[in-house]
Parts: sequence; C-alpha cells; structure tokens
Amino acid sequence: MGTFDEHPRGALHAYLDGELSLEGSLEVEAHLAECGACRRELETYRALRRLLVSAKASAPEAESALMKVTRSVRMRRRRVYAIGGFGAMAAAAAVALLLVPTLSNGVVREVAAVHARALDSGRSVEIASSDPAAVGRWLSARLPGAVPPTAGGDGFALRGARVDSLEGRPVATAVYQVRSHLVDVFAWPSTEKDMEPKPSVAGRWTVCRWSHAGVAYWMVSDAGTDDLKALAALIKERRT
Amino acid sequence: MGVDDDSREFERFARPHAAAALRLARTLVRNEADAQDVLQDSFLRAFRHFRGFSGESPRAWLLSIVRNVSFTLWRKRERDDPGDVEATLESEADPGPSPESKLLEACDAEQVHAALDRLPGLHREVLVLREMEECSYREISEILGVPIGTVMSRLSRARAQLVRELVGDPRSKN
Repeated sequence: MGTFDEHPRGALHAYLDGELSLEGSLEVEAHLAECGACRRELETYRALRRLLVSAKASAPEAESALMKVTRSVRMRRRRVYAIGGFGAMAAAAAVALLLVPTLSNGVVREVAAVHARALDSGRSVEIASSDPAAVGRWLSARLPGAVPPTAGGDGFALRGARVDSLEGRPVATAVYQVRSHLVDVFAWPSTEKDMEPKPSVAGRWTVCRWSHAGVAYWMVSDAGTDDLKALAALIKERRT
Repeated sequence: MGVDDDSREFERFARPHAAAALRLARTLVRNEADAQDVLQDSFLRAFRHFRGFSGESPRAWLLSIVRNVSFTLWRKRERDDPGDVEATLESEADPGPSPESKLLEACDAEQVHAALDRLPGLHREVLVLREMEECSYREISEILGVPIGTVMSRLSRARAQLVRELVGDPRSKN
C-alpha cells in the first residue's frame, strides 16, 4: 500500500477494523490528518458500528437448540444400546444391521453396530497412539478400572482407543490395525473363566467373544478369522 | 459414559458460538422458523464432523456450516438470490445535508434491522459477522470462502450501502 492518490477507501475500513499493519495505519492517519471528507466518513462508520452493536439481539434460544440436538443424539444412541428398538436406530447402526441379517444374537449385532458407527463417523479412535502406556492412561482417566491395551506386534499395530458402551456397560475399546483392516477389541474386567476365541463370520464382519486372565473381550473386524485368532493369541501372550 | 462423552464435548465446543450461529442464520434466512431449522441442522452437521475439525477458529468453522445450510435452504426455496449483489452497489446518492454520524445516532434498533433487511444477503452477512460478532477479516474470509481483499471491499460496500439506507450517502465528499 503506497500513499493514497485519492481517498483510501478499502484501507479506511481495514483501519477502522484494526486490520492494518502499523505502517498502513500510519499512512491512513497521515491521510486523515489532511482530509476532512475521510475523517467524516470514518466517523460515520464508527457511528454505524455503535448502532449495529446496540441493535445486536441476544439469542438465548440458540443454546436450547444446541441442547435439543445433543439430547436427541444421546436418546437415539441409548435406543441403539437397548437391543430391540431397531426401528429407531441411528442410520449408521441400521446400515451395520442390514449387513449382518443372519445374526440372531443381539450382542453380536450391538458389537457390529458400534464398530460400524465408529468407522462411519470417521473417528475410529478418540486417542491415536501406538504407545500402550499412553493409551492406558487416557483410558483410565475416562473409565476407572479400564483394561489397558497391549502393545502391537506380529503384524498388528496398536492405533489407539475409544471408550464405548456395550451391553449397558462402559468398555475400553483398543483399536488395532492388521494390513488394511481395523480391529476393535472391547475389553472389561470379568470373573468369568477363560474362554477360547472362536471367531465367526457374520455378514461383513468377523466377531469373536473370549476371555482370559480376568478380562473378557469382544473383537470385531472385517479382517479374517485367522487374524482375530492371531490377535487374541498376541494379547494373551502380552498379558501373561 | 462413552455414549455421552462426545455429545457433551460438542456442547462445550459449540455453546460459546451458539448465539452467533443463530444470529447469522437469522441474517441469512430472515424468517424465524427457517432460522431455527438452519440452526438445528447446522448443529447436527457440526456434531457429525467436529472431531475432524483442526482449524484455528471453531466459531468460523461453525458459522461457515450455518452459511452452507442456509444456502442449501435458499436454493431449495429459490428466493433472494445473493448472486446479483455487485450490480446494485455502485449508485451514489447526493451529498447529505448534515454529518451522517449525527443522523445515525438518532436511529434505533428497529430501523437498523429494517435497513439490514433491505440489503442483499452478501452485504447483510458481512456486516453482521464484522460488527455484531466481531469476527476478524481472516475469520470472515474463512466463513465466506473468499480472499481477505474481497472481505474488505465487500465490507466497505456493505457499510456504505447501509448508511445510505439509513441516512444518505456516507461518501458525500467535496
């Protein structure tokens, strides 16, 4: 911006709005000192600003609209978790269900729905880290007693974690990747006796329920049954 | 707990900007029922995507969503096309008889809103964003998706036009 041939039209506005550099401001001020018309114009816009500010309406309804939206999101999700209310399900979960029509087990549906929703939402992890200690700290800050994830290995990379709700209880969900597949591993402390992983294929998903050393697991992925077995073996090995 | 976490987090994220979002919606659609619809739709869209938000200004991001939703509604209703704004701007009126700032001081909120309503959409929104929401040029540029230079020139035309609507030509220079 050089000196002004005429009136500093745009710069006058940028000056009024505090958007000019020090140098630019000084140039405008030098012009203002000599130009009554621009001083008057600037004064006009300052008066206009005062007028607009005084006419600014408060909008308390906006917050209630926000709460209405988040509340409806929560309601819809609770219905997803209360197995049976299929008609009212969120679209993503409904899609997941259509993909596993052969399953009769409500919990399997729920596991698949949670996994599908995480994938659909584009945020499969809430904390992204391959460091099991960091992920464990993040989980236990949100869910006291959360089962910390084990480190990756054997082709499985730890990608991070989420906190989900499954069968009405909060669970720590560790997310691993094998090749291009993400695997959700839901884990919670349990007193049930050890149960071998026997993955089954349900539509698009491979799912698997097992338990080992005081921890119960659900795993779900679009990876194969051998992958889930291998991951379960890795987790067992790391946990022992 | 996990179920509710992100919606609560979204409330914390969006609440400081909720009023600005509604004011912008009102500016753009001019009808309270539509504004409320735009607001709710915007919150819902923002909720679906706010995890991916990585910009500097949550407000600018939220307001740009409000704007997109409003325009979608606009297109649906085929009303108030903002595209022909530029053509209507450059007429200059006769010099006013007395300082405009004094005349402006005599205006009330009702007159301001009536005058704003007479402006084209692109001018209304830039004025509301700058003067009422105190957005920086950079934020406005982000919200409108135009360069900062365009923000400045649009704002200068919008102010001149609003003054003209209220009291006469602000550039009545001799």
